[in-house]
Amino acid sequence: MKVLLVDDEEKFALMLAKRLALRGIQAEVFFSGEKALDAVQQGNRFDVAILDVKMPGIGGIELKRSLQELDERMKFVFLTGHGSSIDYAAGPHETENYLPKPLQIDVLIETLNGLAEGPPGASDRDG
Amino acid sequence: MKSLNRLAGAMLPQFHRNHDEHFNPYYTFQDYGQTWGMTIFILMMTALLPLIVMTLIYYQLIETSINTESLLRTERLASNARRAVTYFLEERLAALTFTVNEMDYDQLTNPGHLAEVLRNLKLGFGGLTDLSVIADTGTQVAYSGPFNLEGKDYSNQPWFMECQQHNACVSEIFSGYRGVPHIVVAVKSIRPDGRLFVLRATLETERLIQTLSSYKTGEHADIFLINRDGLLQTPSQFYEGESHHVNIALPDYSDRTRAVMSTDPSGQPILVGSAFIDTAIAPTSFILMVVKQKAGMMKVWLDLRSQINWFFGVSAVIIAVVITLTSTVMVNKIFQADRQKAETMVAAEQNCQLASIGQLAAGVAHEINNPLALINETAGYVKDLFTIKEQYKDDAELVEHIDSILDAVARCGAITRQLLGFSRRFDVQTQPIDLRDMVADVINFHKKEAEYRNIGIHVDIPETIPLIETDRGKLQQVILNLVNNAFQAIADGCFLDVRAEMDGTEHVRLFIQDNGCGIPEDHLNKVFEPFFTTKKEGQGTGLGLSITYGLVQKLHGTITVQSKAGQGTTFVVTLPVQLNKETQS
Repeated sequence: MKVLLVDDEEKFALMLAKRLALRGIQAEVFFSGEKALDAVQQGNRFDVAILDVKMPGIGGIELKRSLQELDERMKFVFLTGHGSSIDYAAGPHETENYLPKPLQIDVLIETLNGLAEGPPGASDRDG
Repeated sequence: MKSLNRLAGAMLPQFHRNHDEHFNPYYTFQDYGQTWGMTIFILMMTALLPLIVMTLIYYQLIETSINTESLLRTERLASNARRAVTYFLEERLAALTFTVNEMDYDQLTNPGHLAEVLRNLKLGFGGLTDLSVIADTGTQVAYSGPFNLEGKDYSNQPWFMECQQHNACVSEIFSGYRGVPHIVVAVKSIRPDGRLFVLRATLETERLIQTLSSYKTGEHADIFLINRDGLLQTPSQFYEGESHHVNIALPDYSDRTRAVMSTDPSGQPILVGSAFIDTAIAPTSFILMVVKQKAGMMKVWLDLRSQINWFFGVSAVIIAVVITLTSTVMVNKIFQADRQKAETMVAAEQNCQLASIGQLAAGVAHEINNPLALINETAGYVKDLFTIKEQYKDDAELVEHIDSILDAVARCGAITRQLLGFSRRFDVQTQPIDLRDMVADVINFHKKEAEYRNIGIHVDIPETIPLIETDRGKLQQVILNLVNNAFQAIADGCFLDVRAEMDGTEHVRLFIQDNGCGIPEDHLNKVFEPFFTTKKEGQGTGLGLSITYGLVQKLHGTITVQSKAGQGTTFVVTLPVQLNKETQS
C-alpha cells in the first residue's frame, strides 16, 4: 500500500510516517497541499491519501477534490484537530474517514487496511 | 368568614425578604416590606391627619360656643329671677311704708283698724299672713292675724335690731314663735312724741317658692335661695347638703348677676348663676342661686358628637382598608415586575458568561491539540521502537515511562474533546424516543453500583408522557451525566429519584433528585460553568455539567438546579415534546 501523507505540522507528519514505516506502510510526506498536488500531477500514484483538514493554502477537503480528479481510485483519510461542523460542511463526508488528533495509531492502521481491502461503494470505480 | 379571610389575604403582601442575593442589583427597592409599610403610613397620614385636625378644631369651636351660650342663658335666668324676688319684696315694703306714712301710731294700734289694713293689703298684694305694731321697747303692742302673738317681746330678734338702725328690714326665712317658716318685712316710723315704732308684716314663703319655681327650665335646672352662710332658704332639688346647707361652692359677693362653671360634689360639671338680692329700701341676706347640669345642657351636642365619632371611625377603617389594599397590590406588582426583570437579567448574564467561556475553551483546546498530537506521535514512535524493534524489547521500565506519557496525553485529549463538545454545534438528528426506556437504559448502567452501595433508585415516569421527538444521543448523554453526578454526590444508603411530568402540552419536565450532600448556595449559579468542580484535583474535569447545559440548549430545552447544602439536589430538565426542525439551524 502506497500512502500520501499531507500535513503542515512537519514534525508530526515525519513522526507519523516513521511509525507507519515501522508497521510496513510506506508513506510519502508533503508539508503543503500544493506540493502534494504537484507530485501527483507529475505521475506519482498513491492508494490512500492521509490529509490534514486545516492547512494554510490548499486545505484537506479542497486537495481531496483536486486529487480525485487526477486519480479516481485514490481513497482518503482525514485528520482533524478541530472536528467542527465548519470542517464537515466543506464537502460530502458520508464515505470519508475522519480521525481526530491526537491519533490512535491502531485505529489509523485499521482504517488504512479497511480502505485497502476496498469496502463496497467506497470508490466510484469499485462501485 | 371566607370572604374576610380572602380580604385579609389580599391586604397582606406576598413578598417577603428577598432571599436571592443575585437578584438584588436589579431590584428597585432594597426592602419591599419597608416600602410597603412606608407607603401605607404616608397615605394614611395624608388622608387621615387633616380629617382628625379638622374634627378636633370643630369640636373645640362647638364646645366653646355652647359653653358661652349656656353661661349667658344661666346668667339671664338668674337675672330674671332676681328681678322677680326683688320686686316681690319691694312691693310689700312699699305697701308698709305707705301705711305708716298714711296712718299714725294710734290708728295703727287700734285692733279693728289694723285688721282692716291687713284685709286691704291682702286684697291689694296678697301673700301676707299677719300685721303687727311693735313699740320701741320691742314689745308687740297690736296684732292682727291668725296667731295669738300679742305682747311678745322682739327686742332680741336680729330683724328688729336691724330695723332700728335702718328705715326698713327684710329677715331671713325662719320659724320664730309660731313654728311656721316665714319672712318678716318691717318699716320704722316715728310717733309725734319722737319715739320709734315698727310696722311689721309676715310673708308666706309658699308664694316666694312658687315665684322661683316658675323660672325653672328643664329637669336638670335647680333654682333656690340661700343666705350668705350657704343655709338653704327655699328647698333645692339637687344640692342640699348637711344641716340644710348647700353642697356647692358659695359665690363671691357681686352686685351684678354672674354665671360661672363649677363642679358638683360628685365632680360633674355644672353652671352656677348667682345674684345677691338687695331691695331699694333695705338690704337682704338672700343669694339667688340658679344651678344647671352641664351634661343635661350638652346632651344634644354629645349625641351629635357620638354620631360624628362613629361616622369618623367607620370612614377611617374604610380608608385604611382601601389604602392597604391599594398599597399591597401596587407594591406586589412592582415586586413581581422587578423579580421577572431580575430573573431575565441573571439568566442572560449566565448565558452570556457561558457562551464566552465556551468560545475561550474552544480556542484553547484547538491550540493545544496540535502539540498534543505531536507528543502523541513522538511518544508513540518511542513506544513502537521498544515494542516492534527487537533490540529494546526487554527494557520494561522504559516502556512503563512511555506509557505514562501516553496516558497523560490521552487524558489531555479527552479534555480537549470534551471542551470542543461544549462549544461545538453538532447537527441534531431527531427521532421519537420513549423517555421511560431511555431512563431505564441509563439506570441499567448503574444497577450494579446501586446494589453494591445500597442506593435506592425510584423511577416514576407516567404512561401519559408521550414519545418525544429529539436527539437520542444527546438526551442519553444528558441523563447519563445527571445520574452520574447524583451518584457521585450521594453517600451509600441514600436514594435517587427520577420522575417526569408534562409542562403544558408541548413540554416535558424531567426531575433527577437525590438526597446527597447538596450544593452550597454560593456555588449554585456556577455549577454549569466549565472547569467548576468541588472534587479533588485530578478526580473531575469540571466539564460534566457544563456539557450537559450545552446539550440541553441544543435540544431547545432548559436546565435548572435547586439545592440545599446537606439535604440534596434536584436537577430539572425541560424539553420540547417536538423538537422543531426549523428552529434547529
